[in-house]
Amino acid sequence: MSQLPLVIKHLSFKYRNRPTYALQDVSLELKPGELVVVAGTSGCGKTTLIRCINGLIPRSYKGDLEGTMLFNGVGASTFSLAKLSQMVGTLLQDPEKQILGSQVKSEVAFGPENLGLPREEIAARVNEALDRLGIGYLRDRETFSISGGEKQKAALAGLLAMRPNILLLDEPLASLDPASAREALAVFRKLADEGASILLVEHRVEDTLATNPDRIMYLKDGCVKYLGKPDGLADAVDWREVKLPAPQVIRRVQTSGQPSRPSAPPPDRQLRATHAAPVIVFDRVSFGYGEGPDILKDVSLEIRTGETVAILGPNGAGKSTLIKHAIGLLHPRRGRVLVEGKDTRELSVAQVAHTIGYAFQSPTHMLFAPTVNEELAFGPHNLGYPQNEIDDSVAASVSILNLNGLESYPPLSLSFGQQKRVTIACVVAMRSKILALDEPTAGQDFGNYMSFMDSILLNEGKASDGKPVVSNFDAVLFITHDLDLAVTYASRVILVADGAIAADGMPETVLKDYALLQRCRVVPTSLLAENIRLLPQTGKFQRAESLAAVR
Amino acid sequence: MLVTWKYRPRDTFIQRLDPRTRIIMLACMVVAFTVFWDLRVVLPLAALSFALFGLARIEWRDVKRAVLFISAFAIILVIVNAILGARGAPPSVRADVSPVVWQSPEIVIGSWHWAFRITAARIMFMISQLLRFLGMAFMAIPIPYTLDPELYGATFRQLGVPDKPSYSIDLAFRLVPTLARDFGITIDAQRARGYELDKVKGGLFERIRRLAPIIVPVVIQSIVDGEEIIDAMELRGFGVGKRTWTRHLHYRPVDYAIIAVGLVFAVVCTLMGLLQIAADVWLPPLLLSLAG
Repeated sequence: MSQLPLVIKHLSFKYRNRPTYALQDVSLELKPGELVVVAGTSGCGKTTLIRCINGLIPRSYKGDLEGTMLFNGVGASTFSLAKLSQMVGTLLQDPEKQILGSQVKSEVAFGPENLGLPREEIAARVNEALDRLGIGYLRDRETFSISGGEKQKAALAGLLAMRPNILLLDEPLASLDPASAREALAVFRKLADEGASILLVEHRVEDTLATNPDRIMYLKDGCVKYLGKPDGLADAVDWREVKLPAPQVIRRVQTSGQPSRPSAPPPDRQLRATHAAPVIVFDRVSFGYGEGPDILKDVSLEIRTGETVAILGPNGAGKSTLIKHAIGLLHPRRGRVLVEGKDTRELSVAQVAHTIGYAFQSPTHMLFAPTVNEELAFGPHNLGYPQNEIDDSVAASVSILNLNGLESYPPLSLSFGQQKRVTIACVVAMRSKILALDEPTAGQDFGNYMSFMDSILLNEGKASDGKPVVSNFDAVLFITHDLDLAVTYASRVILVADGAIAADGMPETVLKDYALLQRCRVVPTSLLAENIRLLPQTGKFQRAESLAAVR
Repeated sequence: MLVTWKYRPRDTFIQRLDPRTRIIMLACMVVAFTVFWDLRVVLPLAALSFALFGLARIEWRDVKRAVLFISAFAIILVIVNAILGARGAPPSVRADVSPVVWQSPEIVIGSWHWAFRITAARIMFMISQLLRFLGMAFMAIPIPYTLDPELYGATFRQLGVPDKPSYSIDLAFRLVPTLARDFGITIDAQRARGYELDKVKGGLFERIRRLAPIIVPVVIQSIVDGEEIIDAMELRGFGVGKRTWTRHLHYRPVDYAIIAVGLVFAVVCTLMGLLQIAADVWLPPLLLSLAG
């Protein structure tokens, strides 16, 4: 027992200046080669657990730490951070935040350099780590020029070069496209098979099942609610809080009798859209930065009133570039973009903002106001709405995005998930005709994002006083890596690959073509598979709990 | 994520030099520039600096903004300084005893008479100071574009700077383009919310207040990034002991020769400064004849 890589007994931690414990009485034993998934909603204590293991708690984050932690039978407090960094490798949520080297080889060498190892040994370790992950070809590449999936592998190679026997992976799938995520999961499994003990913290539980984890730990409010085989998780957690594989949700809903949430009908697809005049028109648009190659290649498409459009495709395919053209932040190299019939070259971004509200991906790049309410009022104020309308739309946005109670908080003091919701609320409050969202579910709990997507798209949100909240956008566009979001909500799916439209149509048509999805680095999910299987009975895609009613 | 400058490998004389040689040369030139005010010395020094800038063969579109911004900034600074106090000028300039080249019409308010006068010494001070500024700037501007980002830290470490400051310099170098990128993203994000930068009006404090939507996110983003960088570095054992720098630089004979020339040059300049040689502005006869 004492030789286990990691033993945690009755671990509790309370951050200084916080009233409640972030972790309470957590115990875990990690065997060599074991892969344990740690799941839970935002604020459940996942990140705190990782910080306790990698030594940032108590070294960088102060507070009350109780319980014991043993590495190979030796108490954690006896190790210096240098020694600890050779036993525990931590892959941070966003590889962009982790990478320090300007080239891949210097990134991988950074840790061994800090240990003061001889140059020859560092070179050997760099080559070994790169080879182990099969990314030797990236050796001399600049880190900022490689793809998201490659960045993550480079960051992981940087950890492997320290030769740790424990790997802590903190939401490693968050910034990856589905195919890259699938590749990353295969790498994690391989490392476990080679003997590494892995703690994989991830709220995308369904995706992590691809690693064939040995056990799953489910944390809630800092406490362990479940620790055991993956099969048992479905019965231990609420399927409305944790995204489970569709067949498990269907089974749970069927065995519990009635669906505990009314199964929302998919939006009123196509009916309004077909005859409406297009609001946004891309007319043979090509674009590239400076004198660089084309990022968008001869793109033509029309967005009409009534549509809910999901834009899917790999990182770097040109999805955000497409939306930035629609709001006039970028102008085409060739072709033109029309918004309500006017060329965006002749409109200011502020003028376009009346028609299209766009929520940027990263909250910290736009939040600035002293309170959430003032932050939300900024956009409508810029657009010149009267004060009473601004107050109304701010209040409605707060309800839609589940921000009740946070109105007077400084947005920058909120958690990442809450900040992300504030950024979306900011744009919802602008009451533009069309809402464009960039990765709306990033950093969000399943329960939270389904709730606000319901409010935005199905107009069935409810304010805290129980009154329905209606958002009434003419059309909604969302860029996402979350295929299930498209399956659940979209009336139209646009697949973007390599700067061009690879497919455009109803989800029931486009997403059925697995070969096409593979080409666009989209990985089919269990919800998609269930929907396709039941399509002859349903006629249209639905969310998992709605499928439970189909026999 | 930290991004790097627009570096690209070029097979030029400047880029073949050891980066340390270039930093030492920059220091020597800065020493020389700070000693002299005599245009007959400052001008050749500036010409050398411009020539070295040309030798770096950086694409104009890459440096255009930096060059124009720094030049405009230097010109404004020099003119304002010359008109106001001539700070840092040799005593002869501040004494204003040289002939007046141009005088504005006199303003008379009651018994108070005032006219703006510019003396020959102030004109020469302006020209020399501008050339000193630009000379130093044109030595420094090519560095980020022509120095491999891989070598920032190693260069300073092998110049004898300790591990931590060397790595700090490495990070600081990359912070500038990273900040520029963050500024770009934030401006775009706020424009998408209907914010128009060119409509920011009002007094100084009002303008600063209205710039908050741009300034606050960029500052906060830098702080958040900074904390995350510290975490990422600590988790990989940074700062726990003496570190190895895998990139090892080697001087070639040409580097030794240039450093030797540079050091001798700096010592000679320092001695000339101590002996007050070329330490005052030169008043060309043509200018004096203009002053009558």
